[in-house]
Amino acid sequence: MTDDDLVFKALADPTRRHLLDRLFERDGRTLTELEAELEMTRFGVMKHLRVLEEAGLVVTRRHGREKHHFLNPVPIRLIHDRWIDKYTERHVSALTDLKNRLEERR
Amino acid sequence: MTTTVAQTTQVYQVFIKASAEEIWDAITKPEFTQQYFYGARISVVPDRYHSLGPDDAVWGDAGVEEFDPPRRLVHGWRSMYDPEMAAEEESRVTWEIEPHDGGVCLLTVVHDRLEGAPKTAASVSGRGWTMVLSGLKTLLETGKPLQG
Repeated sequence: MTDDDLVFKALADPTRRHLLDRLFERDGRTLTELEAELEMTRFGVMKHLRVLEEAGLVVTRRHGREKHHFLNPVPIRLIHDRWIDKYTERHVSALTDLKNRLEERR
Repeated sequence: MTTTVAQTTQVYQVFIKASAEEIWDAITKPEFTQQYFYGARISVVPDRYHSLGPDDAVWGDAGVEEFDPPRRLVHGWRSMYDPEMAAEEESRVTWEIEPHDGGVCLLTVVHDRLEGAPKTAASVSGRGWTMVLSGLKTLLETGKPLQG
């Protein structure tokens, strides 16, 4: 699977999107904290987190004995740059032009 | 303690098809940074991190904690391009470059010690670092800056 496939696959699940939303709300949570918010076994949450980690959407860091999970939005940005920009380019450049013009006047 | 780490640390990662040396140059030399870092000309030397905006305004000026080319760089951060954020306490940015198989490196950016800089934390977490890293990846892999 390519990197893009891993990201799309990871995002194609409501529980995993929910986990990302929880991290967006408050980043750096431990497994125990994330588990408390879901009606799911610890093992189930771990499995979903592993898929998110493989896709690069979640990065873990250790602080002492605790493992913290951080939302990494870069892969979504890359998909945005690769796919969305192509289709919205004209629209976006019109807005960028407007922004530049407005800012010049300040 | 968990809450402190959680709320005051941000972590970003991206794989880049480039050598560690190329990535190191791209994050420490102004001729590269101005192509992906919102136009900022950043230069990092062993004892100083300095950033100039496109209009020559000082965007950043801080000490360097660790300077270990081409693997690890740690410097202070103050968002001097905005008066309110400039008044906040200094935070810290760590760059880690880790070579992997196949000519790619994993670049990790950790922005932490943000407890005294809530406005800066909010500002860098949105498009902030994400745009910088996707722009850096595009520049190193295609030789061209990201459009838009």
